Amino acid sequence: MCKDMPPLELAIQFHGHICPGLLMGVRVAEFAQEYLGVGRDYDEELVAIVETDSCAVDAIQAILGCTFGKGNLIFKDYGKSVFTIGSREKSKAVRFSQNIDALAKPQFKRFRELNQKTSLSSDEVAEKENLVGELFEKIMTASFEELFKWREVPYEIPAKARIHKTIPCALCGEGVMETRVIISERGKLCPSCQAEIGGELNV
Amino acid sequence: MCEANVYINREGREEILMEKVDRIIPGEDNNIFLESIFGERKIVQARIREMELVHHRVVLEEVKQEIITPDKEIWLEPETDHGHFHEGEEVRLKVFQGYNMRAEGKPACPELKAFAVVDGEARQIDIAEKEDCGEINLGSEVDGLVQVYVRESGKIDNYAKIVVEVGHHHHRGLQAIGLPLEIIPCDYSHARMGESYEVQVLKEGKPLPGVLVRATFAGTHNRDYPHKLNTNDEGKVKIFLTARGNYLFSVNDGEIRSTYTLMKSF
Repeated sequence: MCKDMPPLELAIQFHGHICPGLLMGVRVAEFAQEYLGVGRDYDEELVAIVETDSCAVDAIQAILGCTFGKGNLIFKDYGKSVFTIGSREKSKAVRFSQNIDALAKPQFKRFRELNQKTSLSSDEVAEKENLVGELFEKIMTASFEELFKWREVPYEIPAKARIHKTIPCALCGEGVMETRVIISERGKLCPSCQAEIGGELNV
Repeated sequence: MCEANVYINREGREEILMEKVDRIIPGEDNNIFLESIFGERKIVQARIREMELVHHRVVLEEVKQEIITPDKEIWLEPETDHGHFHEGEEVRLKVFQGYNMRAEGKPACPELKAFAVVDGEARQIDIAEKEDCGEINLGSEVDGLVQVYVRESGKIDNYAKIVVEVGHHHHRGLQAIGLPLEIIPCDYSHARMGESYEVQVLKEGKPLPGVLVRATFAGTHNRDYPHKLNTNDEGKVKIFLTARGNYLFSVNDGEIRSTYTLMKSF
């Protein structure tokens, strides 16, 4: 690579395409980096708590390096476009809440409508291309406050992810994290075997 | 009941476009957004012709996208999608003929003249005839910026220009090369998607205000140029780059047409 990828490119490469949701995530990630004075996460210096599983989260993963695998992307399935980004080194966290009307423009509605169609006519393909362009410019050039409410919040970031012992399931023999094991009459079971035999998961 | 049925007049014939419309929002470039009480939405290229509010009737008139293709234009594209060449690498460019970055036919290579300009010094270069385009091979250029242009003389004089970056970080200001009608980047840099990019149109070396500049990008699905802007008092226009790959800017004035290719990867 000749030069570092800009944040936007990182996000598009990771997500696969460009869409309004992803761009909203790009704005959050870039703002968080600047506000917290941090770069991309290397080893859990940053934590992202996301309250949605929308496209925006992919931008947060790609740009901030808070990923599912590293354990510093915490998903709360609340269906809210709310993102809290914290820095362990700075002991500082900032919470973003997407304005309810941020994506309420007619162009957004039309974009979603076209996006949900399984096939598009050539005119609609061109229309979608133009809408993406229009929305792209709107999102990337809007003031941050037009898109999000944000505030610094008390630093209450969970501890770093722990690596637990893996033990074999008494039924399938596959390895399972010790803390996720269910102790039953048939031994220490993984959650999937426990579900298969109809037992309670307790997880 | 305050919603209306919207009709569209197409070539003298009126047809229903949408029933029970409760929102009509005129936008830019003759776009009209419609939304019905059932949540159906449409954007059409039209203008409002008549509103009969008592009869809950709105009539639109279709505005056809004007595609001006007086003659084909020529443009240059690099034979790389990397955004620049590296020192020691062969710098190959292609010459196309067509419109809106869609090649149509092959350019008349024997009638074209090509030049490479480095630090104000121009040298003529050959154009090889390929199956569907012309090809320029500059060989291995040294680190820096090279401006290449192609001229086609005829009833309309066509010019095509590209700025080729060899190596990295050549952000210095570029000088116009002195074409009768020329598009120059205002601040040459590694232009990228998600950034604004400004160009200036010069006629005989002087800024040309009020002229239409069209801009497009490789792989657009639009039949015509997706961006059309008029130059300001300083002969400048600015667009926001929303697509990957190369962009093409085009301008016509009198009997001269000139294109400029912005070479970029992302």
